[in-house]
Amino acid sequence: MSILSIENIYKNYGSVKALKGVSFNVPKGSVFGILGPNGSGKTTMLGIIMDILKPTSGTYKLLNEVPSEKHRRQIGTFLETPNFYHYLSAERNLHISAAIKGRGVEDIPRVLEMVNLTQRKKSRFSTFSLGMKQRLAIASCLLGNPSVLILDEPTNGLDPVGIAEIRALIKKLQLEGTTIIMASHLLDEVEKVCTHVAILKKGELVATGGVNEILVNEDIVEIGAANLSALQLSVEQFSGYTSKKVEDNLIQLFYPIGTINLEGINRHFFNEGIVLNHLQLKRKSLESKFMELTN
Amino acid sequence: MITLLKVEWLKIKNYTAFIILSSFFAVGVVTVNYIILTVNKNIISQSQAVVLTGKFSPFQFDKTWQTTSYASGWLLLLPALMIIILITNEFTFRTHRQNILDGWSRQQFIHVKIMMALLIAFLSAILVFFTALAFGFSSGTSFSTHGISHVGFFFLKALSYNMIALLIGVLIRRTGFAIGVFFIYMGVENFISQLLDVLSVRLRSRNNLDLGSMGDYLPMNSADGMLTFPENPLKAMTKGVMPTDYPWLVLSLCIAYMLFFYWLTVNRMVKTDL
Repeated sequence: MSILSIENIYKNYGSVKALKGVSFNVPKGSVFGILGPNGSGKTTMLGIIMDILKPTSGTYKLLNEVPSEKHRRQIGTFLETPNFYHYLSAERNLHISAAIKGRGVEDIPRVLEMVNLTQRKKSRFSTFSLGMKQRLAIASCLLGNPSVLILDEPTNGLDPVGIAEIRALIKKLQLEGTTIIMASHLLDEVEKVCTHVAILKKGELVATGGVNEILVNEDIVEIGAANLSALQLSVEQFSGYTSKKVEDNLIQLFYPIGTINLEGINRHFFNEGIVLNHLQLKRKSLESKFMELTN
Repeated sequence: MITLLKVEWLKIKNYTAFIILSSFFAVGVVTVNYIILTVNKNIISQSQAVVLTGKFSPFQFDKTWQTTSYASGWLLLLPALMIIILITNEFTFRTHRQNILDGWSRQQFIHVKIMMALLIAFLSAILVFFTALAFGFSSGTSFSTHGISHVGFFFLKALSYNMIALLIGVLIRRTGFAIGVFFIYMGVENFISQLLDVLSVRLRSRNNLDLGSMGDYLPMNSADGMLTFPENPLKAMTKGVMPTDYPWLVLSLCIAYMLFFYWLTVNRMVKTDL
């Protein structure tokens, strides 16, 4: 079953086209990352799903139904910034969230504890640091143990410990069966926690699917020799790699992950009468894959 | 709706600005009426003017309803400011978005605010009712409900101001700016209203055309127009030159404007990006 299905969503701000016909499905129980550079339309899309923004055209369904406030009450959502009443304490702010969600207040101590804010529950929201505000927003999402979470840049403003805690929390919630939809521009974050991903670029969907299919890493071997043209001729006779590229007097050979045999490569060229003066294994970074997809 | 109002109560019950403005308003209503009582008792009644105006007691039953409603009407800026602050706070803190994200519909979000405007107007009218009652009894005259409809006009004026405030808040979104626009609008409307009033008097005297006080046909002034100071000898003297009052027309216009503002406010919240 799809938790969320989006069909051909367009959103225009005047002449600016923020979303251009985006469609994808979020499977139940997944941690679904929406990845894209700043301004690619991630928040706009989540805003549309949650009725904060109106789409120019297109349809979407939450939990297989046309979305309404009833569905939003079952979803914990944190969008863009922590939005709370500055003059109220953390606890009182959560009272308001709980009342709107139709949940009891008895869950408040549990969620405050989960984000380490119990000590500061009586402090006004305006006295909080950015990281604390962020954690309070996540606590609010967790009220009533929703089966779906929508988190937009959840680790923004958190220190490394905070980031690791949120990551651990997301993994734990997924094991408990929670579906998590997470927008991020942090590849590392997506790679570490997501099972599925959709990549947006300037409002267009570039790719969607399992993280391993989309963000698959390739291995690269970089080779060089004094006689580059002889080396190039010899590379033509060689097999096992998927593609090649010449860069800065070096030849890059691309291999499926984990299939490289450096010793075999070295021996092959030596037997061909070419002595390599450069032989280096490089892992293709997620970052370069992302750049490739979004540039 | 009760559930929604409970949430609104959670938002305001510890909000200092709300507590201060409500207290100012409550104290102000009593004070302004007390000032009128004192001025009338100690100055007007003792002066030469009494010869001109005759003996006039603004807080005796049945005048107390009208006097208190009229005088307290001047303080209705305070609840209107409160409404502006309450709605623009939501935009400033972006909690209007969060309320929707957490599970309110846009309709619920704006209707609970409209209900707050209604409730604040109602509570203000209750306060005026009891103030009028207290001043009435203190005048030593016997109780009468005659003229109590003025408390109802006060309620309509309060609601009208609150609805204008709410609309400006929803359109402008920033607190300071919205308050500024509210005051500028009030000034501009009053200025135009004065011009229209002058025109009404001229039309009557020169062209023998009595269209009523046209200044009262504007949104805020239609709410003001229903509340006047009680009839007194001085007022009676000006009657000859003033255009006829058409209370039913002013009342209908006031209600029509409010319905229009209601529609604009809801439409704005329901249709636009938040």
